[in-house]
Amino acid sequence: METYLWITSVWGVYLGIAVFVLGMGLRIYQWATTPKSPVRLGMFPKPATKSGRFFKMLKDTLIAPHSAKIEPKMWIFAMIFHVAALAAFVGHLRILGEYPILPELLGGEHAMNTFAAYAGSIAGTLMLVGVIFWIVRRTFGPYKNLSVPEDYLLLFLLFGVIIMGDHLRFVYGGFIHADTYQEWFRSLLAFKPMFPEKLLSGNVGWSLGTHMLFTDLFLIYFPFSKLVHTIGSFAANYVRSE
Amino acid sequence: MEKVQLETLTGVIDKKMNRQLKQYIDICARCAICKDACHQYVGTGDFKYLPARRAELIRQIYKRYFDKAGRFMPALYEAREPDDNLLDELYDSTYACTGCRRCMYYCPFSIDTAWILSVAKAILIAAGRGNEMLGQLADAAIFKGDNAAMFEGVMLSGFDDISEEVRAITGDPEHRVHVNKEGADVLYVALAGAHSIRPAAVIFEEAGENWTISMFEAANYGFFYGDTEKARLITKRYIDEAKRLGVKEIVVPECGHAYRVAEFFYEAWSKEPMPFKVTHILEKVDDYIKSGRITVDKGLIEGKVTYHDPCQLGRNGGKFEQPRDIVKAVTDNFVDLTPNRAEQWCCGGGGGIVAMEEFKDVRLKSGAKKVEQLKASGASVLACPCENCRLQIEELNEVHELGMEIWQVIDLVVAAMPLPGNQKGAEATE
Amino acid sequence: MSDETKVDLELDLKGLLCPLPMVKVSQNINNVPVGGIIRAVATDPGAMADIPAWAQSTGNEVVSADKQGSEFVFLVKRVK
Repeated sequence: METYLWITSVWGVYLGIAVFVLGMGLRIYQWATTPKSPVRLGMFPKPATKSGRFFKMLKDTLIAPHSAKIEPKMWIFAMIFHVAALAAFVGHLRILGEYPILPELLGGEHAMNTFAAYAGSIAGTLMLVGVIFWIVRRTFGPYKNLSVPEDYLLLFLLFGVIIMGDHLRFVYGGFIHADTYQEWFRSLLAFKPMFPEKLLSGNVGWSLGTHMLFTDLFLIYFPFSKLVHTIGSFAANYVRSE
Repeated sequence: MEKVQLETLTGVIDKKMNRQLKQYIDICARCAICKDACHQYVGTGDFKYLPARRAELIRQIYKRYFDKAGRFMPALYEAREPDDNLLDELYDSTYACTGCRRCMYYCPFSIDTAWILSVAKAILIAAGRGNEMLGQLADAAIFKGDNAAMFEGVMLSGFDDISEEVRAITGDPEHRVHVNKEGADVLYVALAGAHSIRPAAVIFEEAGENWTISMFEAANYGFFYGDTEKARLITKRYIDEAKRLGVKEIVVPECGHAYRVAEFFYEAWSKEPMPFKVTHILEKVDDYIKSGRITVDKGLIEGKVTYHDPCQLGRNGGKFEQPRDIVKAVTDNFVDLTPNRAEQWCCGGGGGIVAMEEFKDVRLKSGAKKVEQLKASGASVLACPCENCRLQIEELNEVHELGMEIWQVIDLVVAAMPLPGNQKGAEATE
Repeated sequence: MSDETKVDLELDLKGLLCPLPMVKVSQNINNVPVGGIIRAVATDPGAMADIPAWAQSTGNEVVSADKQGSEFVFLVKRVK
């Protein structure tokens, strides 16, 4: 198991982060160095001022009001997934270090762990709901015809990441808290990788390793997939109002 | 596929590539939210008309030859070479597209499918598969520009006849269509038909505008065909004319793409700033009415009147209110279509599709939503400032027996003006 | 002169607005044999420029284009 952990949760993490950062950098560099469209591609109505256009871009990107109007069902599930994913991401930041203030506000370390358990459980469940909705949606009619293997691969990787994350949350969440994962992750950041005893005893290591295996693959594939919409959508929605 | 042919086609993509195009190709999540935005997909249920699918064909070629991940693992993206199968489907999905950009309006990333299809058209033309009819229409327009002297006689005699009709309507013996008038403020670039010139001339003359008519038409089939050089030459005809006459302003007629071409595309094609102000004729008319330069009477137009936003003028041109204000000035009995303005359904007649007989079936089916809207409005008169829209809606009107009158907005205005012979303005479209 | 010309196809383009008369002639040109004649009657004056321009740029021939009252009568010959 220790070897599995070293591959997935040490070297895999280094590789995943490196490929992700370089890949996204390359993608942004390619976009930035390709000449802008000679034709103004904006559509109406559009705000007259630059700041108006900027805020419309934020609104169009973060809330997608037009999409909500035409396909509310898809919009709800997409919102559920994206908001939950953001919440999960923010929650994971605890492995870098404990949040300031928040634990005191909640009434101590124990209360913070309880809050994190609830928040993480909800976010993890909602993400799963979103991904299952998309998997089902891509199984039928025009959605199936439009889908390419990339779509299914990404959903498979996401499903793996989430299901193993939820597994860690629901099975081991009672006795392994952020501080344990923090010890491991901060050792990675310090380039002195190690695993705390708690992760090496029992089967939790297999679960963490699998969660990280999916995460590594997801990070490696991310910059070469349609997931670059995470940043590209801001640029494209800005052009809408130009 | 032959190497030379392949290099030609990928060369087109390379040449046409720009930041927005690349982003559109990279970020589309194939979420298919666009599917219910497209009048053609909704009207036919045919997969090839699903907007994301139309763009997907270009993405498949792009991934195969330009994207590292796509070259490494083509199967993952269904990346493939532009073989006959692909080009056949691309021809249908591209030339059928009316360029209304309703899909872009609803797309969470605002992906401009029509812009992606401008590359598709360039590829099809390079492969010798450009639409023949649109190509011929473009070439004929360029020929007219290159041999203007050859057509001057028939043009002048045509303008004389229209001047005669204008005088019959206004009753003023001084009124006429001004030709080649140096020092005019306004160059009106009409469509080839008299129906586009006569009512405009009545309005300009009544408003006391210092105007002159262009020898060329504003329609641009080079734009629909997808050849930017042809499109540039067609537009350049009246830009050069405007420079020669020293006008201040170019006014384009009730034609959707003519406005978009002049206001948004010509600068990119010619790589020089547009030296004139470009105005849509309905902006002028709205101004004439509001400033009292022409008088219109409410009550001369009978029946409930509604208005269709041509996509190129509304969603893609930003002229939502002026045409409505004009219609509301000539009648108290106005009702809007639902949805309207930026969400207006495309009628199905844009992009040159009315000239392409092969798409007649999909074109008529794609009008289903427009027919639904028109019926629901309960109106008996439709005002519509776009030639292609009118041709399509007139046909829908006939096929679905809607019993509506389809009017140009300027015809409606002339009919509402207290003039001795004003009913003549409407003759052409009735 | 036009009385002697054998017409292979008659096209009634009355009421059609430009550029549709040109479009209809173009769509029908392959329905007559090479050397065959289409006789087209249009009412839109724009056709007087459109149809000759189309013929020139596609390499066909307008044998005659006459204004007869409010109608415009074209004899178009398919050359290739």
